[in-house]
Amino acid sequence: MDALLVPLIVGCAVALVSALGVILARRPVHGAVALLIHSLSIVALYLLLAADLIAFGQLLIYSGAIVVLFLFVVALLPAGGIERAATSSRIIAALVGGGALLLALGAVLSVQLPAPAPQPATGVAPIGRALLEPLVVPFELTAPLLLVAIIGAVTIWRRQEVER
Amino acid sequence: MTAEAIVLATTAALFALGAAGVLLRRNPVAVLMAVEIMLNAANLLIVLGGRVRGEVLGQAIALIVLVIAAAEAVIGLGLALALYRDQVMADVDETREVRG
Repeated sequence: MDALLVPLIVGCAVALVSALGVILARRPVHGAVALLIHSLSIVALYLLLAADLIAFGQLLIYSGAIVVLFLFVVALLPAGGIERAATSSRIIAALVGGGALLLALGAVLSVQLPAPAPQPATGVAPIGRALLEPLVVPFELTAPLLLVAIIGAVTIWRRQEVER
Repeated sequence: MTAEAIVLATTAALFALGAAGVLLRRNPVAVLMAVEIMLNAANLLIVLGGRVRGEVLGQAIALIVLVIAAAEAVIGLGLALALYRDQVMADVDETREVRG
């Protein structure tokens, strides 16, 4: 475990710094690139936590699909997505809200973790079995969810097309 | 500090950072990016919980959350485009049209 500690700390640091970059980037394109780095660091953390399948899912869905989707939308936004500077009330709200949430989460999560239980058999098969036995209802519900998301996205867009 | 404790602290910090970003940014796409950070933090916590308890269920739930995050991104970005396409500058403070 000790051999993994250094890469783990590096991964956590990269995740935090790139998240800060996403929040503070003035141009959305830079924010999208920072989001890509953030997503890749999360992939590394999943790999270090021995969650291989989730790491690949994160790599394909987040680093691949979602970041590219963000880049497309940034290109389509008015004024290239440039935004006005944050008002002082927004900065205060972000500092107070983020700080309060950090305090609350720190208090809740500062539990003494039990020693990790013996790890179950790794590989895809146990995850697939978990998806089809205890989690079969949420798993099947993702299909209509994605269908509704696709139809909803097209409908939201088409409503404006018709009005023009 | 164990590896699990470090990741636990990171998830808390990431979630707070994402929430601060949602409050700070005025560009709807940037707000959605901050929401994605919060979702990543939550998912990391789910995987960590599964690891600490030695259950494979955590990873299965994390996969489902990943799919939900993808659907959320599609709808959110579609809304951002539809709402701000005709405006000079995309700004969540100046949403003129939010009717069905």
